[in-house]
Amino acid sequence: MNTIDLTLKIWRQKDNDSLGNFETYTLRDITTDMSFLEMLDVLNENLTKEGKEPVAFDHDCREGICGMCGAVVDGVAHGPDKEVTLCQLHMRTFNTGDTLVIEPFRSRAFPIRKDLVVDRSAFDRVIQAGGYVSINTGGTIDGNAIPISSETAELSMDAAACIGCGACVASCPNGAAMLFTSAKISQLALLPQGQPERKKRAQAMVQQMDAEGFGHCTNEKECEMVCPKGISIRNIARLNREYMKGILMGE
Amino acid sequence: MWFVSFVKSSIGKKIIMATTGLLLILFLAVHAFGNAAIYMGSKYFQIYADTLHGFPVLVLIFGLGLLVLFIAHISVGTLLFLESRSTRYSRYEVNKRVVENTFASRTMPFTGLFILVFTIIHVFGFNIAAPAGVPISVTVKEYLSGFFYSLFYIVSFVALAIHLNHGFWSMLQTFGVNHPRYNCLIAKLTIIVPVFFLVLFGGIPIYFMTGAGSAY
Ligand code: HEM
Ligand code: FES
Repeated sequence: MNTIDLTLKIWRQKDNDSLGNFETYTLRDITTDMSFLEMLDVLNENLTKEGKEPVAFDHDCREGICGMCGAVVDGVAHGPDKEVTLCQLHMRTFNTGDTLVIEPFRSRAFPIRKDLVVDRSAFDRVIQAGGYVSINTGGTIDGNAIPISSETAELSMDAAACIGCGACVASCPNGAAMLFTSAKISQLALLPQGQPERKKRAQAMVQQMDAEGFGHCTNEKECEMVCPKGISIRNIARLNREYMKGILMGE
Repeated sequence: MWFVSFVKSSIGKKIIMATTGLLLILFLAVHAFGNAAIYMGSKYFQIYADTLHGFPVLVLIFGLGLLVLFIAHISVGTLLFLESRSTRYSRYEVNKRVVENTFASRTMPFTGLFILVFTIIHVFGFNIAAPAGVPISVTVKEYLSGFFYSLFYIVSFVALAIHLNHGFWSMLQTFGVNHPRYNCLIAKLTIIVPVFFLVLFGGIPIYFMTGAGSAY
């Protein structure tokens, strides 16, 4: 079994009102089969044994589908591996002797709760503003009664793969949430069920996105590069179209 | 009112950038067409200049329109730059970009500023403070035969080309033009469009500077 020794520089911050700073830790004999979060578990076990405060980080499924985990590792959201969440990043990506700088996902709209834990409820409020379809009660409609091509359904599914982890915001030079919002708008705009509220939706969600303090897009493509689900910026182009149609031609 | 919320929104500002940017590119295309007459000789260039200024009212109206576009593009661009400055330059201990070739996108405000400085000097030199009573075709040759004057023009056109290298693609993305069928063509155009302007405009100072235009 391969093992590596690491130096970690981790951002420690008591809560949103406190000042934070980097603490340095050394870890020996980390198995390369471990995930990044398991490596942090080892660190926390050591810290607990020493009577120190463990490093707080978010996680839940640990299989890359829930969107809870995330940190910036050496300047890249979710670390250097392509299309993986932090929980699916494995220690074999690193070499013995490496120093890893681990920072929380930073954004004006994501207050730091503790250490690497950030509050991403701004995303929830963007969804609440319009990322839904309203279905009135009545007889259940047969699923196959609404025709849709498989290509379009696939595009919608690709957008729906967004797990809302916030890596797009964390990596964007402007702190924009365009990739997230565009995925949430696209998954509905492409489907027949999303049509009635289409024009209102784009306007409402963009308005909320701006109100939360996210930045504006300058088409830097950074979000697409770090997205663990490979969401394409083609969705951002669609969002721009949806927004234009909504605001220029909506009722 | 819809227009107020449009202008206030992040996407609305981007659409203003893209629309004014597109109209500025269209102006550049027309300007490049006229200036290309230089390559045919001073006689033809003078004909072009005289014809153009034979319509003083149209020149005034379109000139003012261009000024409005320019001011709108610069003020919204500056606003966006100031808004994102704090996020951009001091967020992380380790700053890293995964995207390769970010030079053009990173330097948009600075190449833009360079174009602004150039435009002011250019308009003063060849229009507002141009030597009175001298045909423009002569003034152009006189100024651009100077090494530093020419060099400044060439550097400015390089800045413009870099600005357009990101700007052209960014404009299409902002307008929502992003489709696998056309992305290959668009990727080529992000090189072809800036190089086109660089060659047509940049060729003029080189023409005079190197003496290739001595028979002009
Ligand atoms: C002939 C002159 C110019 C042309 C043809 C031009 C063209 C463009 C185009 C097409 C864009 C892309 C718009 C988008 O991202 O959707 C752009 C962006 C930009 N321009 Fe210009 N521009 C010119 C002059 C200037 C000047 C004088 C300035 C500033 C002093 C400037 C500052 C900017 C900035 C900061 C952006 C980036 C905005 C962003 O990405 O958010 N430009 N330009
Ligand atoms: S913990 Fe669920 S995606 Fe990483």
